[in-house]
Amino acid sequence: MSLANKIHALGDDLVSIDVSGPAEAQVLAARLRASGDWIEVVGGIDAVVLQFDAALHDLDFVVGKVHESTSQDEPVVAMSPDVVEIPVCYGGEYGPDFDAVCAMLKLSAEELIALHAGHDYTVDMLGFTPGFAYIGGLDERLSVPRLREPRVRVAAGSVGIADGRTGLYALPGPGGWVLIGRTSYPLFDATSDRPFALKAGMRIRFVAVPEP
Amino acid sequence: MTLEVLKPGPQTTIQSAPRTGQRHLGVPCSGPADPLSMALANRLVGNELLAPALEITLGGMSLRFRSNTAVALAGAHARATLAGELLPLHCTKQAKVGDELLVGRSELGARTYAAFAGGLLADEILGSSSTYLPAALGGHHGRALAKGDRLMLDRCERTVEMLATPDEFQPPMTASWALRACDSAETGLLRDRRQLFDTNFTVAGRCDRMGIMLEGAQLAVESDGRMASAPVFPGTVQCPEDGRVFMLSVDAQTTGGYARVAQIARADRHLLGQLRPGDHVRLLPRDRESAVADLRAKLDYWRDWLDDVEHVI
Repeated sequence: MSLANKIHALGDDLVSIDVSGPAEAQVLAARLRASGDWIEVVGGIDAVVLQFDAALHDLDFVVGKVHESTSQDEPVVAMSPDVVEIPVCYGGEYGPDFDAVCAMLKLSAEELIALHAGHDYTVDMLGFTPGFAYIGGLDERLSVPRLREPRVRVAAGSVGIADGRTGLYALPGPGGWVLIGRTSYPLFDATSDRPFALKAGMRIRFVAVPEP
Repeated sequence: MTLEVLKPGPQTTIQSAPRTGQRHLGVPCSGPADPLSMALANRLVGNELLAPALEITLGGMSLRFRSNTAVALAGAHARATLAGELLPLHCTKQAKVGDELLVGRSELGARTYAAFAGGLLADEILGSSSTYLPAALGGHHGRALAKGDRLMLDRCERTVEMLATPDEFQPPMTASWALRACDSAETGLLRDRRQLFDTNFTVAGRCDRMGIMLEGAQLAVESDGRMASAPVFPGTVQCPEDGRVFMLSVDAQTTGGYARVAQIARADRHLLGQLRPGDHVRLLPRDRESAVADLRAKLDYWRDWLDDVEHVI
């Protein structure tokens, strides 16, 4: 597909670039961000959207710059192979939807935990609210839709699943993911030198623990 | 100590320049919901246009000055007094120690901005001192002001010229808004795009710094509700499967899973901060080129009063 078919203007100051998946999105987003030309560069699941200064740059300039970034063939810097372990207390008061998921998917508690914990995942992206992590690679047997009625308040550290992904809530707030557990892992601390514990591309593993 | 909050009102926060460049980490930009009005207030007290100032939502706020400070108001129309005397919007006034500033309930528009010479001292977090309430970032301990809070000025005891905003630079307030908007990524999922632009919408009760829900039409969207999470921005108009219309504002989440059916043009995004429940809204269709022309024309107009307006709108 030619680049022209992959770039779409969304309004006057946003441009969306189609990509094959979250890994490509993060690589392209990092390249675009490094140029310093853009107000925001956000990698999604199947696109990168950049926000530019429409008073300063016209669309041709933006498309040209994007073309430069997509045609770079320098090697992608590999993420650290280290796997970060995230302790999760599954079920009970910390995973209010855990029993319903077991019933819906006809799994025992042990089977659900075994399917979710114990293997490696990749952080697809951070987004939604500060530090919220979208984690791809959920076992197909754990496929559940989002809640029809989102919760008004979800506790910080909540571990949810939906639409083939795990979501980690760094902050309390509203949320529509199906909650199966909770972690005490500090996902976001605004006062720290490294406010965000996770970043896109990082490898993680969930470890079942009795208390969050 | 410079200001003491007597009555905080429904939601008064310190806002400043937005927290940009971090949406990929999930960090919304925040900043004033109506940056143009905040810039107008700051201009009158000799501050940088986006120096930390108060965003007073729906009025109902009062505070006492503990030092001599120049003050100015802009934004939503509200009856305001300083030491008992009427304080109109759009003019600089010198407040003296002990004076009370009272901003009554807003009558038109949602947010009145109060700027103080020297700017307010605020917590700078992740590169901005704007308050983002959901994560308690910036401003005054990351929260809305409360009775008894004491606010400091960043710099004080400055000599400030007494100014008034020229008439032609006092933005009109209204309860009926027209917002120029362009198509977005999933506009094609609307069964009838005209419905988006032909409806007289009403602002619903759900209206805050994150977003504004509109009532008046249930839009039919071709979507199975399982869209991949995609980046969203202030001004993105989302349409969930139930056909409601939701316009995102300055504290908007950075990604969303609903159809993005329009994007409010940058030129008109500052107006989102003045919408209040019950107001009427029409979206005006614009192609990209005319939206950019609108933006440049608007910046050219405002530059005669606000030097750095391109960093504001």
